[in-house]
Amino acid sequence: MSEISWKRTISDVNDEVLINLERPHKAFYLALTVSITCLLIAVGMVCYHVAVGNGMWKGFAPPAYWLVDITNFVFWVGIGHAGTLISAILFLFRAQWRNTVNRSAEAMTIFAVICAAVFPGIHMGRLYLGAYWALPLPNTNNLWVNFRSPLFWDVCAISTYFTISLLFWYIGLVPDLASIRDRVKGVKRLVYGLMSLGWRGTARQWHHYETGYGFLAALATPLVLSVHSIVSWDFAMALQPGWHTTIFPPYFVAGAILSGCAMVYTLLLPVRWMFKLENYIREDHLEACIKLTLLTSTIVFYAYGIEFFVAWYSGNVYEWAIFEKRAVGPYAFYFWVMTFCNCFFPLVWWSKRMRYNKAVSFVVCVLINVGMWFERYNIIISSLIEDFLPGSWGHAEPGLWEIGLTIGSFGLFFTFFLLFCKFFPIISLSEIKLIMDKPMKNSIKGGH
Amino acid sequence: MNQSKGVLALFQHLDTFCEVIEKVKSRNDFKDHEFYSPTSYHEVEHACAYAPSPVRWFTFFGAMLGTITGFALPLLCDWDWPVVVGGKTAGIYSLPAYVVIGFEFTILFGGIATVLGILVMSRLPNPKVKVLDPRLTDDLFGVFVPDVTLDGPQAKFLKDHGAIELKATN
Repeated sequence: MSEISWKRTISDVNDEVLINLERPHKAFYLALTVSITCLLIAVGMVCYHVAVGNGMWKGFAPPAYWLVDITNFVFWVGIGHAGTLISAILFLFRAQWRNTVNRSAEAMTIFAVICAAVFPGIHMGRLYLGAYWALPLPNTNNLWVNFRSPLFWDVCAISTYFTISLLFWYIGLVPDLASIRDRVKGVKRLVYGLMSLGWRGTARQWHHYETGYGFLAALATPLVLSVHSIVSWDFAMALQPGWHTTIFPPYFVAGAILSGCAMVYTLLLPVRWMFKLENYIREDHLEACIKLTLLTSTIVFYAYGIEFFVAWYSGNVYEWAIFEKRAVGPYAFYFWVMTFCNCFFPLVWWSKRMRYNKAVSFVVCVLINVGMWFERYNIIISSLIEDFLPGSWGHAEPGLWEIGLTIGSFGLFFTFFLLFCKFFPIISLSEIKLIMDKPMKNSIKGGH
Repeated sequence: MNQSKGVLALFQHLDTFCEVIEKVKSRNDFKDHEFYSPTSYHEVEHACAYAPSPVRWFTFFGAMLGTITGFALPLLCDWDWPVVVGGKTAGIYSLPAYVVIGFEFTILFGGIATVLGILVMSRLPNPKVKVLDPRLTDDLFGVFVPDVTLDGPQAKFLKDHGAIELKATN
C-alpha cells in the first residue's frame, strides 16, 4: 500500500472518531430496528423450540440431524476469524492498514463466536446443562469426557479463541475508554471510568502494555490458524467420504479468512458512512482488505479444484460419488452458488478500478458471505445425507425454522455490532495515532 | 499513583518531549516523576530506556502452566479410568490426541497471564485514579513532578524546554 497522506492530525482523532457517542445517523436506528426485529423473531422461535422439542426441525431426522445448526456454527466461527487475523497476524507483520479496522474486526469476532455458540447451545436441548456437557467433568456413568474426540478439541479451541479474542479486544480498548472517560461527564464518566480500569497513559504503562500486546498477538497467531483447523477436524476425523481428507484444515482456514474479511468490508462500508469516518478508514485501507479477500478467494478456488482432483485421482469410488453428486446431483444448486460466489465473482478484483469501486466490492463481499454459508451447507449435506446405511438415505432442505434461526443469528450479530458502534470507539484511537503523521516540531511522515 | 500534588508540564511535540525525557532522567531533582503519552510512541519508549518489561515472565510461566495442565488433564483422566483405545492395552496413553488440548491450554493460560501481567505491572485496576489533564489521553504529552511548586527550578526547567503549559495539580 502506498504511503497515505493524512488530512488530519492526531489532535482531530478523538473529536472526530468519537462522534459515534453523540446522536447517530437515522440509518443507524433503522438498522438497529431491523436487527432487533430479526433477533426477537429468533428468540420467539427458540422459546417455541425449547417448549416443543427438536421434532420441529425439518432437517432433524437421521441422518441429517445437525444440518443447519452445524452449518451456522461453522459459518459464524469462520466469520470470527478475520478479527484476530487482522489484529494479531497483521500486527506482527506491521501492516499499517490494520490499525484502522482492527477494533471493529475484533468486535465482529467476538459477536460472531457468540452467534456460533448459540447453535450447539440450542442443539444440546437442555441449555442449563450445556456447561456440564462442555466441561471435562465425569458423566453419570463416572466416565471422563473423550479427550480423543475432535468435538471436545473444538470445545477447547472455541472457548480459548473466544477468551483470547475478548481479552485482546478489551485490553486494546482500555486506553481508548480512558480517552472517553476524560471527555464525558456524570454517569457516563463513572461507567467509562470503571471500564477503563483507571488507565492513565504513563510511559511506563505503555511500556508494559506494548510488551503484553505483542505477546498476546504472538499467542493469538497460531490460535487463529488452529481454531478452524480443529473445526475442520470435526469433519475430517470422521470416516465419511467427502469429509475424510487432509486438505480440510488449510482449506477451512482460508475459507474462514475469506468470509471474515468479506464481512469486515460489509460492516465497515456502511459504518464508515454512518459515522463519517471517511478521513480515517481511507479507501486505501478498504482496498487492502479487498486484496486480502482476493488472496484467500484464490486459495479457496485452488482448494475446491484440488479436492475434486484428489477425489478422482485417488480412485476411491465412494469419494468420487460424493463429489459427483455435489456438482450435478440434487444439491448442485448449493455447489454452484458456492463456486460462483467464492471463486468467480471475486475475480473482478484483479482490476484495480473494481477494488476501489465501493458498490461493486460491497456486492461481491455480500455474495462471498452467501457463498461461504452455501459452502458449509454443501460440505455438510452431501456427506451427511448419504451415510453408510443406504436405508437411511434421504433428502433434506432447510425448513422455515432453520431459515428463521439463521436470520435470527444475523439479527443477534448485527444488534451486538451496532450497539458496539454506538458506545465504543469504532476505530482504535491510540493505534490510529501511531500511523498518522507524528506531532513533530519539524513535521515528518507517520509510521509505526 | 496515589500522589497528585505537584506540577504538570504539557508538551505538544514528540521530539521536544523526548529531549525533555532524556534530560529529566539525568537530573536528580525530579524525584518520582512520570511521563505521559497519548499513545505508545516508540520514540518515547526509547527515550525512557526502561528495562524489559516483566510482563514477558507472566506470559512464559502462564503458557508453561497451560501446557502442563493441558497434558495433565487428559493423562490423569486416562490414569483414573483406563480406556482401551484401538484394541491396545489399557494404559497406553494416546498422546498425539492430547497435543491439541495441550496447545489450546498453553494459549489460554499464556493469554490470561499476559493480561494479568499488564494489569499488575501497570497497577490496574485503579478506581481512585486522578485525571491530571484530559488532554493527556488526547493529543498532548506530559511530565508530572510530585511535591514541587510552579516557582521551583523544576517548573522553570520544563518551561525553558518547550512546555506549552504548566499547571499545579492537587
